[in-house]
Amino acid sequence: MNVIDSVGLSDFGAEGEEDSSDTSSALMRPDEQLEEKSAPAILAAHDDARALVRLVQCQLCSKPFRLPVTLPCGHSLCRDCLPEAHEREHVSYPDIPGRRKALQCPFEDCDEEHATADCNVDVTLNKIMEAIVDVVAKHTSIAGDTPTTMEVISSWDNPTGILPSSEKTIYHQLPGGRLIATFTLAAQGKLGYNTELNYPIESSAEESERAVDDTVLSDLLESLRKEVDCHVCYNLMLDPVTTFCGHTLCRRCLERVLDHSLHCPVCRRTLVIQPSLKTQPTNKTLDNLLKGLCAEALAARAEAFAQEEDEEQGDLKTPLFVCTLGFPNQPTFLRIFEPRYRLMLRRAMETNREFGMLMYNRYLEPQGDLGPVHFYHYGTMLHIVQTQTLSDGTSLIETRGLYRFRVKAHGTRDGYSVGSIERIEDVTLEEEERIEAEETSLPPVEMGDMVDEIARMSTHNLLEMGRAFVARMQSRSASWLQQRVLDIHGQPPSDAALFPYWFASVLPISDEEKYKLLSTTTVRARLKVTASWIRRIESQRWYAPSPSPSVQSE
Amino acid sequence: MSAPLPKRIIKETERLQNEPVPGISAQPHDDNARYFDVMVEGPGGSCYEGGVFNLELFLPDDYPMCPPRIRFLTRIYHPNIDRLGRICLDVLKNNWSPALQIRTILLSIQALLGAPNPEDPLNEAVAKQWKENQSEAIETAREWTKLYAQKN
Ligand SMILES: [Zn+2]
Ligand SMILES: [Zn+2]
Ligand SMILES: [Zn+2]
Ligand SMILES: [Zn+2]
Repeated sequence: MNVIDSVGLSDFGAEGEEDSSDTSSALMRPDEQLEEKSAPAILAAHDDARALVRLVQCQLCSKPFRLPVTLPCGHSLCRDCLPEAHEREHVSYPDIPGRRKALQCPFEDCDEEHATADCNVDVTLNKIMEAIVDVVAKHTSIAGDTPTTMEVISSWDNPTGILPSSEKTIYHQLPGGRLIATFTLAAQGKLGYNTELNYPIESSAEESERAVDDTVLSDLLESLRKEVDCHVCYNLMLDPVTTFCGHTLCRRCLERVLDHSLHCPVCRRTLVIQPSLKTQPTNKTLDNLLKGLCAEALAARAEAFAQEEDEEQGDLKTPLFVCTLGFPNQPTFLRIFEPRYRLMLRRAMETNREFGMLMYNRYLEPQGDLGPVHFYHYGTMLHIVQTQTLSDGTSLIETRGLYRFRVKAHGTRDGYSVGSIERIEDVTLEEEERIEAEETSLPPVEMGDMVDEIARMSTHNLLEMGRAFVARMQSRSASWLQQRVLDIHGQPPSDAALFPYWFASVLPISDEEKYKLLSTTTVRARLKVTASWIRRIESQRWYAPSPSPSVQSE
Repeated sequence: MSAPLPKRIIKETERLQNEPVPGISAQPHDDNARYFDVMVEGPGGSCYEGGVFNLELFLPDDYPMCPPRIRFLTRIYHPNIDRLGRICLDVLKNNWSPALQIRTILLSIQALLGAPNPEDPLNEAVAKQWKENQSEAIETAREWTKLYAQKN
């Protein structure tokens, strides 16, 4: 007996000691925190009622969003809460109404100016608010008389008396369960965004109130379901990005859409510039709302997406054709007769009809990390529009440029080049505008310094300089502007983002010079390149005629 | 080449089955979920009324970035549909948007049957007839509908 007892006790003691020891709980904690981060918790209808309502409260007026606007920085606020706009100077591009005026962002972590054109009602968030208001109205009308008591927790942000630590406590009573009562309190303007609430409740009422809250939330989820699906992939929106016209898609879906067209898929408005989606902020309100309401579905979606992405962008997946220069939005015609390239073409046709076009690096100039490789490392992704196979097996293909990229790594597959690539994108429109304002407000320079002079021109004038040059050359019947060329490439685009690509496609200068456009990250930078070509051509100091064949082969 | 079917296509197919549009059906092939047998009824009040038109529809790999490919299998006398069954419809070309779907495209095609547009013809001969002698053209369309577009 004694022996057994002592063994039992010592075991017990050891366990007890470990449990209570500080080292053990310190070791436990990091794990728990990690777990919490990787799987965001769903907010519970009853226990997290206050946090749920905060998801749809405007940080400016503290009321539930009314006609919410999502700003380019990803923050949302009511349209009526937008600050007054002011005129801007030194911004000429893009010259459309609503970009000359801007407002100062009221969110501290942003503090930038936003063009009024970028501040439109967020269609998705607005529909969500309408659905919430409907559900709240329905449940308010059927709510019993038993009110929910809400106690405002006194804090520095939210003094309940003259002194922050005032003893006086404020209570509110509203019917409908915690969720409805809290939302109604916010709608009445009595619940500050940062205000916390206590819900003192008699334990007898707790169960029924919990049941009511669960019903309200499941009703809400049901009616929100269709609003939070992406219009392109029909999945729950993942990393939602909102365009200036107020339409929201998954970041990846919007990227894909923009590869093919510069129009919003929902309203068809022209998206002024290909937004640099890498830096485009997430719609924070929507993102938090989705995380709070359907964290599990979202996590599953994110996992599936990561897998897809892995498969797609795995190492060396992109077929590369080392041949010539291509430009976004411009056609390139190719004649393909070597079997290895016909194989590449067929594989591209079987998948997404895309392959990367790279220029041949004859003198093996070093290409960044890649060193002296047989191609220039900036290229353009081409989409195959149509192919025609001749009787001798030669393929004639028509392609259109999608986007620019840089080769990060490369290899060969069945005789043709393959690589892993990263996209080259323009900076955001706001950054573009900031750069223009900065450069054009520099003090003027003495005549004669071409580079400095061009650098100070407004983006609008840089474009006009290009278009005027084209018009002048056309009036002189320049051979590179013959009808045949215009039939293929179209008239000079009025869109400043695209004009340089068109210009480079038709102008007979060396490909090495044109190649400079592929690594630019602003519309201005591209227009400065084209402006320098024009200045040099006009000063007759520089002209390197070379054929600009529309049919290339390797 | 047997990539998994995108969620979007699965959902569109489900909705087409579960919430069918009156007068329109689209059934995917068992061995190719991107290939659909489509049936569109001629709209009431049009010269195609009473007709049941078969079409084939294919969702290319880059769908929904690119529009579905679709053509009439049933012969039809219509200024915007040519002898190969190809359809001249802006939303199938430049006005395609990934926010459109099979359902909306089929509704547009049904609407095109109700409102032929000889000003933007794909079939010059039919369009010419339509402009020069509309009542005769409509009569021909009715006859063709009776001849070729009956339920079997
Ligand atoms: Zn901001
Ligand atoms: Zn507000
Ligand atoms: Zn999506
Ligand atoms: Zn839009």
